[in-house]
Amino acid sequence: MNSINGISRRGFMHAAAFASAAGVIGAFPGVSYTQEGRRLVVRFNRDLDSLDPGYYVGGHPDNDINWCIMPALAHFGVKDGQGTWVPSPFTERVEPVDSTHIEFTLKPGLMWSGGYGELTTEDVAYSYDRMAESEWKGDYAAYSHVDIKDRYTGTIVLKEPFSPFMNTTLASGTGIIVCKAATEAAGGKFTTEPPATCGPYVFEWVQGQQVTLTRNPEWTGIQPFFDTIVARIVTQDETAALAYEAGELDCVQISSNALARYRKELPAGSSLTVAGALQYMWLGMNTEHPKLQDIRVRMAIQRAVDQSAVIEGAYAGTAEPSFGVVCPGLAGKRSSAGYSYDPTEARELIKAAGAEGLKLTLKTLNSQERVLASTIIQANLSEIGINVTVRPLDAGPFWEMGQESKGDTWKELEIWLMRYGSGPDPFEPFQWFVRDQIGIWNWERWSSDEFEDLYVQGMTEVDTAKRASIYTRMQEIMEDTGAYVWLTHEPEVFIHRSDIAGRFAPTGEMQLAYFS
Amino acid sequence: MLLYFLKRIVLSALIVFLAVLALFAMLNSIPGDPASIALGPRATPEIQAAYAAKMHLDRSVAARFLIFLGNVLQGDLGTDVFSNRSVATTLLEQLPYTITLAVASLAWAALIGIPLGCLSAIRPNTWFDRLTGIVSIGTIAVPSFLVSIWALLAFAIHLDLFPVIGAGEPGNVTDQAWHLVLPAFAVGLGWVGYLARLVRASMLEVMGENYIKSARAFGLRTRTIVFRYALKVAILPTITLIGIGFGVLLSGTVFAEIIFARPGLGKIIYDMVLSRNFPVVQGAVLVTVVLYVVVTFVADLAVSVLDPRIRDNL
Repeated sequence: MNSINGISRRGFMHAAAFASAAGVIGAFPGVSYTQEGRRLVVRFNRDLDSLDPGYYVGGHPDNDINWCIMPALAHFGVKDGQGTWVPSPFTERVEPVDSTHIEFTLKPGLMWSGGYGELTTEDVAYSYDRMAESEWKGDYAAYSHVDIKDRYTGTIVLKEPFSPFMNTTLASGTGIIVCKAATEAAGGKFTTEPPATCGPYVFEWVQGQQVTLTRNPEWTGIQPFFDTIVARIVTQDETAALAYEAGELDCVQISSNALARYRKELPAGSSLTVAGALQYMWLGMNTEHPKLQDIRVRMAIQRAVDQSAVIEGAYAGTAEPSFGVVCPGLAGKRSSAGYSYDPTEARELIKAAGAEGLKLTLKTLNSQERVLASTIIQANLSEIGINVTVRPLDAGPFWEMGQESKGDTWKELEIWLMRYGSGPDPFEPFQWFVRDQIGIWNWERWSSDEFEDLYVQGMTEVDTAKRASIYTRMQEIMEDTGAYVWLTHEPEVFIHRSDIAGRFAPTGEMQLAYFS
Repeated sequence: MLLYFLKRIVLSALIVFLAVLALFAMLNSIPGDPASIALGPRATPEIQAAYAAKMHLDRSVAARFLIFLGNVLQGDLGTDVFSNRSVATTLLEQLPYTITLAVASLAWAALIGIPLGCLSAIRPNTWFDRLTGIVSIGTIAVPSFLVSIWALLAFAIHLDLFPVIGAGEPGNVTDQAWHLVLPAFAVGLGWVGYLARLVRASMLEVMGENYIKSARAFGLRTRTIVFRYALKVAILPTITLIGIGFGVLLSGTVFAEIIFARPGLGKIIYDMVLSRNFPVVQGAVLVTVVLYVVVTFVADLAVSVLDPRIRDNL
């Protein structure tokens, strides 16, 4: 078993998929004193776009900043050894009391900047109501309203049970709370200059260069560890790794190339932390294409692809093997697939289907890893008599090739290498494979009544064990179509100084206020 | 002189127009839906629609071009589709970094390259001339992105002499100068060779002129002949080269800005092309083209002042 810094990779992926060593739930590292001069320098791999949770692009680095300067009811953390949402330091209590009601109590005395007063339940209600009308309203599809009990206490009411709500909405970037008075005064929207902030840090942005977070003098909550956090914008992975090695950065998200290098020789005084592995890559097959309509051909391809060769050859062993769409650390993650690498059985299936000499085109994004993976698959399939042409594509044509709304290319689509990113709840990946998604993101073009029923059950079921069972079965259904060859879960890995304890969202954003 | 000036103005405006037209054609021929690429494949329809509206993607390319042109003529370069910041503000913040890098690169290259060319010319076919020739061709042949990577590995990582990334702390001039050394070295190195070879060739030609022979006959010192009389004439093609080569210099800064993670026009164009933030790309390319045209224009004017014969040859 591979290990990182003496910690087994598997153990790491299970217990720490959501966060790293910072174990204090829902509180910043908690220094009651302040030592001047504590400075952390991290990397952002792209520039800020917008900090308005309702109208932003989302993800890194906007969330990284928002979690330092804006309130939220929940953050990502670790509870009982499992990665999940935890109450944020802005709250005294957050508790789902039944399947459609979440009670919360804010900490009193947390002040908005610019003289906009105290953070109250009015702000929470305004923020979520606004989100339900925003460009990100999809995250709030189950949200109904907030019952305001008093200045600090309220109840979030859902229209229907939706168990992923805490993880995929409240703890994510779209769970950010904005100041009602300030946002209304700003015209209802903002971009990179929030009209009011409330958090342990205030920020200064120099476009294209860096973001500097400094302690918020008005913040009365638990103080974060670092006085100053500088996030330098370095778009190139290799430059960022070199800057880390030169001592100019303290914490850097690294590419799989750099990870492979660091696994062989880690720079002195450094540690690697896996934030999560919420990517799932598979080889997809169009079940409606004449060449692939016979399930025996698809099953042959499943058995012909050597998953371990792909992981070693294209990812230098840095990716986790995948056995479905549920990612490590989430309920329903499978530990094995229902098929295994067996070229002999694959050849027999091809012979039985009368598909000897089959010619297929494998389309992939033109990144280094995916082209490498494609060529390995090409070699695997040639061993069972399938002649594959690999066609690398730019992002534009690639993301359109299975969509009916973008032309007729979906009709010619045969096999392709695909990778999706998941959120921190197992419900998320399945939404792309339901019946309604055929011709949109379900490029494999299949459907199943049982799958549809289980999808609805999974959204409303609150028992983790039952959800795990539902999602396991849904992956079996997907696999039984023969349209999927599970390949990898690529981890989000950070290298950092050994004396820094980081805390990360499973989607790879840094929760900088928790760094110590 | 006035006529020459006016002709150049009209020509410059035409160049800018054609460059913007070509840019539009290229940007709109990139395959794929800009909204899907910019926002990620699974952005909600609402987000995609908002993006498309901001980018006028529901209009024809010609209509979008006319909108852009109309706005530019009114001094409006547009708005960043993600941050809603004015493109002009963004570019004004980035421009000084690129100009500083370009000027610093050219300055050190001129300080080394021009004297090297002069010394080679007054000692033709000596070991020094041959060595200068080899070094010059060598530096011209190596692309600036390769020099950037090598300089970064050698001086920043291995020797730990210079910083790897960034442009230095905002407001700290010393730190910013320190961060400028390696990128300026990388961008300017090729220009040392260019300038040395060009000045050498011009000087050799000028040194054969009768007035130089006369100066020698009058017993003037070589240093006086070279730097006071010969260089004044020999430098003319160099000024033109600097003007024309400014575009190449800007290309060099793109690589240096990306590799050294420096802010600047080149880096912002690169980042914004990747994110399909077309308004910023259009604005940045327009500014770059204008910058190039202005530098060429100024170089031509300088040459025409130094050599009045040029004014008749537009």
